[in-house]
Amino acid sequence: MKDSCSSVSELLEKYHDQEVTKQERSLVEDHLSECSACRVLATEMKELGSLLKAPVEEAAGKEDFYWVWQKVQREIQERPRLTWWESLRSRLGVSPLFRKKVWVPALTAAMLILSLIVVPALMRENTSPTKLSTVEYVESPDYNVMIYEEEKGNVTVIWLFDGPDQEAPTS
Amino acid sequence: MSYDEAELISRCQQGDQDALKEIFDRYQIKVYRIAYGVVRHREDALDIVQEVFIKLYRSIRNFKGKSNFYTYLYRMAMNTAIDHTRKREKIPPVSLDGEDAFQPAEDPEKGADRILLKKELEGELKAAMEKLPSDQKAVILLREVEGLSYQEIAEVTECSIGTVMSRLHYARKKLQEYLKDYVKPRD
Repeated sequence: MKDSCSSVSELLEKYHDQEVTKQERSLVEDHLSECSACRVLATEMKELGSLLKAPVEEAAGKEDFYWVWQKVQREIQERPRLTWWESLRSRLGVSPLFRKKVWVPALTAAMLILSLIVVPALMRENTSPTKLSTVEYVESPDYNVMIYEEEKGNVTVIWLFDGPDQEAPTS
Repeated sequence: MSYDEAELISRCQQGDQDALKEIFDRYQIKVYRIAYGVVRHREDALDIVQEVFIKLYRSIRNFKGKSNFYTYLYRMAMNTAIDHTRKREKIPPVSLDGEDAFQPAEDPEKGADRILLKKELEGELKAAMEKLPSDQKAVILLREVEGLSYQEIAEVTECSIGTVMSRLHYARKKLQEYLKDYVKPRD
């Protein structure tokens, strides 16, 4: 393959699908006239297209559609309206392609939000009493001091005890 | 007798079954091609055509005319066919022999070998298409069978043109690999 092949190969599919500009078309055609490797790629693409198309065109006849219409007509005469579920699906545009396209990212986003915001918030709430308050106990020859501080409420409680022999209060 | 499409749709929205018949006549082959492309089974494809037009009649009131009618109908056909395939996947596969298989039109010039080869090819195609994810299957059929532009495919499948091109690229790559014996140019 030549160096120019890489730039043309990007255009080759667009060329096959007739989505190129005039300028791009002449670029591809000039290249194809010189490069047998890219000609093979272009032919393979064309062959695949014909392969997909051919059996479809041969596989049904007019008489088939006559019977299909008879069945459609009978069905809509018997039950002309949608069920509530069909109606909901139709209004929301819920389809196999929609399901994959919307629900997968939506679910991923919801889980991400849950893990980034809600879970840390819950954890903060659960751990707040220990994180937001401090208790210190200081011993000295004359007094024993116990300090309780709550950061959020700006509450400070100080207990003073007479000496090291006295026991600290229980509450 | 020819009607403007907007008028036909409007009549159909009011419950006019003759209008539906005209829409059916205009689009039956196109819907069939999409259905057949996805399921590669004649009877199933015809069942899908039936289901699509029943659905269309019942839900056409929801069509507000914001998009082209054919993209609305193609989307419905594609989704119905994909849904059908998913339901089928839960049922054990049936043999390719007999009337379920591809039925070529009778032609005295075509020999038994040619028919056999076509049957084999149809089997290979069916197997290859089944291996593709539904979004790639949708774009390759809309492009190669229906001849829709990238823009139209993007409207039907509700995604960007870039996504259409990327899905097409991967679909082609996979199909060329699966069907390499059939797509290689003859010397």
